[in-house]
Amino acid sequence: MSSRKLKLGAVLIGVGGPGQHNTWLSPEIPGNASADIHWYIARAQQAEAAKFDLVFIVDSQFITADSPNHYLSRLEPLTLLSAVAVHTHNIGLVGTITTSYNEPFNVARRLSSLDHISGGRAGWNVVTSGDSGTAGNYSRDEHYDYATRYGRGLEHVRVAQGLWDSYESDAFPRDKQRGVFFDRTKQHTLAHRGEFFSVVGPLNLERSPQGQPVIFQAGDSEEGRDLGASIAEAVFTHAQTLEQAQAFRTEMRERAAAKGRDPENVLIFPGIHVVIADTDEEARGQEAAIVGAKSFDRALAELGRPFGWHDFTQYDLDAPFPELPDDVGNNSFRAQANGIKQLAKDKHLTLRQVVEHSLKSFWSPFVGSPLTVANEIQRWFEGGGIDGINISVTVPSEFALFTERVLPILRERGVVRTDYEATTLRGNLGLPIPGNRYTTAAKEPAGSADPVADDSEAALALSCRPL
Amino acid sequence: MPRKLHLALSAYGVGGPGQHGLWKDSRVPKNASIDIRYYIKQATIAERARFDAFFIVDSQFINATYPSHYLNRLEPLTLLSAVATHTTNIGLIATASSTYNSPFNLARRLASLDHISDGRAGWNVVTSFDSQVSKNFGLDEHLDYATRYGRAREFVEVARGLWDSYEDDAFPADEESGVFLDPAKLHALNHVGEHFKVAGPLNLSRSKQGQPVIFQAGVSEDGRNLAAQVAEGIYAPGGSLEEAQAYHADIKRRAALLGREPDHILIFVGAIPVVASTDARAQELSREIFEADNDFDRKLAFLGRAFGAYDFTNQDLDAPFPDLTHLTERGGRAGADLVRRAKEQGLTLRQVVESYSEYKPGPFVGSPETVADALQHWFETKATDGYNLRFRTIDDLENFVVGVVPVLQRRGLFRNEYESDTLRGNLGLPIPVNRYTAQREFAGVSA
Repeated sequence: MSSRKLKLGAVLIGVGGPGQHNTWLSPEIPGNASADIHWYIARAQQAEAAKFDLVFIVDSQFITADSPNHYLSRLEPLTLLSAVAVHTHNIGLVGTITTSYNEPFNVARRLSSLDHISGGRAGWNVVTSGDSGTAGNYSRDEHYDYATRYGRGLEHVRVAQGLWDSYESDAFPRDKQRGVFFDRTKQHTLAHRGEFFSVVGPLNLERSPQGQPVIFQAGDSEEGRDLGASIAEAVFTHAQTLEQAQAFRTEMRERAAAKGRDPENVLIFPGIHVVIADTDEEARGQEAAIVGAKSFDRALAELGRPFGWHDFTQYDLDAPFPELPDDVGNNSFRAQANGIKQLAKDKHLTLRQVVEHSLKSFWSPFVGSPLTVANEIQRWFEGGGIDGINISVTVPSEFALFTERVLPILRERGVVRTDYEATTLRGNLGLPIPGNRYTTAAKEPAGSADPVADDSEAALALSCRPL
Repeated sequence: MPRKLHLALSAYGVGGPGQHGLWKDSRVPKNASIDIRYYIKQATIAERARFDAFFIVDSQFINATYPSHYLNRLEPLTLLSAVATHTTNIGLIATASSTYNSPFNLARRLASLDHISDGRAGWNVVTSFDSQVSKNFGLDEHLDYATRYGRAREFVEVARGLWDSYEDDAFPADEESGVFLDPAKLHALNHVGEHFKVAGPLNLSRSKQGQPVIFQAGVSEDGRNLAAQVAEGIYAPGGSLEEAQAYHADIKRRAALLGREPDHILIFVGAIPVVASTDARAQELSREIFEADNDFDRKLAFLGRAFGAYDFTNQDLDAPFPDLTHLTERGGRAGADLVRRAKEQGLTLRQVVESYSEYKPGPFVGSPETVADALQHWFETKATDGYNLRFRTIDDLENFVVGVVPVLQRRGLFRNEYESDTLRGNLGLPIPVNRYTAQREFAGVSA
């Protein structure tokens, strides 16, 4: 138990994400930071020096002129992480990819390529795309409804996991004596035919040193939590209080157990903002300056995002929060939209008050002197609220405050590692390497509970079969 | 400005098509095809030799009969991104399919590579030769020729439109006024076409070279038309000097008819040079390599690729070559041509395989001077504008770089130093004007 360590993730943002409208003004941040690979490499190296478990790249594929500055012009996650991979050695590389607008064969292939290039450090943050406008970039008139998004998401991940197992570990004997490069009995077609995807395989890439990329997931709705319970090895969430964090973690572990998974292998990572200064008072003052600087008008515009970029400027600010048609917000970030509607209803809030409340929600519990912040993190960790934290990184000197003043305290107390245990992401997160299903099946013909293997009977017959 | 030769390195690992024995060569690391350091090393050597570009081929369907390199390899854009930050001037060209990608995603990834490499990205547009690829993407059948090519043309059009989403001065990042983005310089494409509907905008600005360079390999009538319409670099089919000259002339003519500047389309012939200290030794080496790779069973099995992964291994070898034209309709044209040739010459299956087993020395075999002579000759007689070079091992690449490149440089045919740090710059291609900026300026002038 005392060997349990808090895991650390660094969410690399360039010029400032949601709520960070003035971050770009910092003299430390180049105007094109979000599209500058050298920026990301430097931040990743900074995180690696501090023994972070992983860097994390968020993503979306729909923008308007009102999108947060970081979203306007940024690098695609896996392309970015591949370049970071060859300038780092131990730190994990987790990229966000949507299951809604990608094909499983491509996703499996690209993640596995990153996994090889990095020597086993790749991770996939599975999302289904919140912005309903995303559909319009992919020849669709409408975003998928929730049920479809999540059904597709689950099947997509299962197909990728099946493809990653295409080669057993002894598929390439490369035996010069016998003249045998490849043992064809160790290559397997997936022959998956499901509700959303039909993929024959095999994948043209073998397993990496960590077996398969680590699966992250983020999603707060009922469907999101259900998906997470099925597939996630780490969950990226948000929690304003320790109690909220504890409730979420307990729930996700229970859900995972109900699906036959070991809850110890589902790590909960809330995203956190830290503001650190010499004293608590100074830190709170700095936070007020950052959050307060966010203009009311930007906040009003951003309020629209969970409602499919609904335009709230058309309403009277001092009238009660408007009654919105049911379909507004139904296909975007539904949990968030419903939360806002419910709050407005429960507290009889005007539109202005809802916007002011949203501004307040950017206040963080991790604000204070290094000791205060360290104590709070430790409290959440030992209180069973978190397995890891995902810290947002923009201004390098602010990140340095965390790595150089807070982490040493946590290191000394045995809360975080002093050095990497492994060279793979799974190794450092303490997650097991999944067995190759074909190797497992060959040993135990009485069958495994593998949903994809069951589908393989309804095969697409290939005209070519292994000799 | 005298016309100069362009050189690209087409990088492989443990043995591409026909190289069945290469993996046994002790100079090739066992897992070369999936080892990023093997590719970084090749790119570094090519860059030192001032090559224009580093190129990665690709395909997305395999079965157990495929060449060693194809069985287990890295996805091209992921690979090239890693190579990008270990190089500074060499272009990075990725093969990606217009049939099995969506324009928004691929445009985004190519633009990302273009930023990461500071203006050196290129895209080799393929429509996917293997008709079985469709089964990895949820389609029971590969799209037919016309559909694939129509889709490819529209795909390139959409990608180019998305790449222009931000005008070059869209981000004033003005601290005084507090303005990060000038929204008037951000443009949604709103493309509605036969194959795609893409609103945009793309969430990435243009690179130093404006847009990635478009490459394509077009052999069929549809392919040549597509190439003439959209390609800036072209991979020519194999063949004799005369065939290459005819192809070169044909493409340039088609481009001119479409109103394009023929000098802004560069044709690259593929070459696998064999260089040794003397011509005799090189010829000997070339034959040895051929014998090492010559494997009847492997050739028989891989023959199936042109026929939708058809299994030839259980066929009667001495019966006439079967008419499998119906299996070639969705794939490349190579299969149909093969059936026709076999019929015309009355060949059995065995004879067809053996025709691939006859040793024919390539045109670029000899001492460094001999090889340079041949490269010069093809270039000067307008058979090509450059070479897409392939080598068996890094040693062979080094031999060429050390032996042949200096001869070409001495003769004033190839650069001593990079002219530019972008792919467009080194290929002598113009930076495309941003269409929205052009429209604005045109409107301003005509107002």
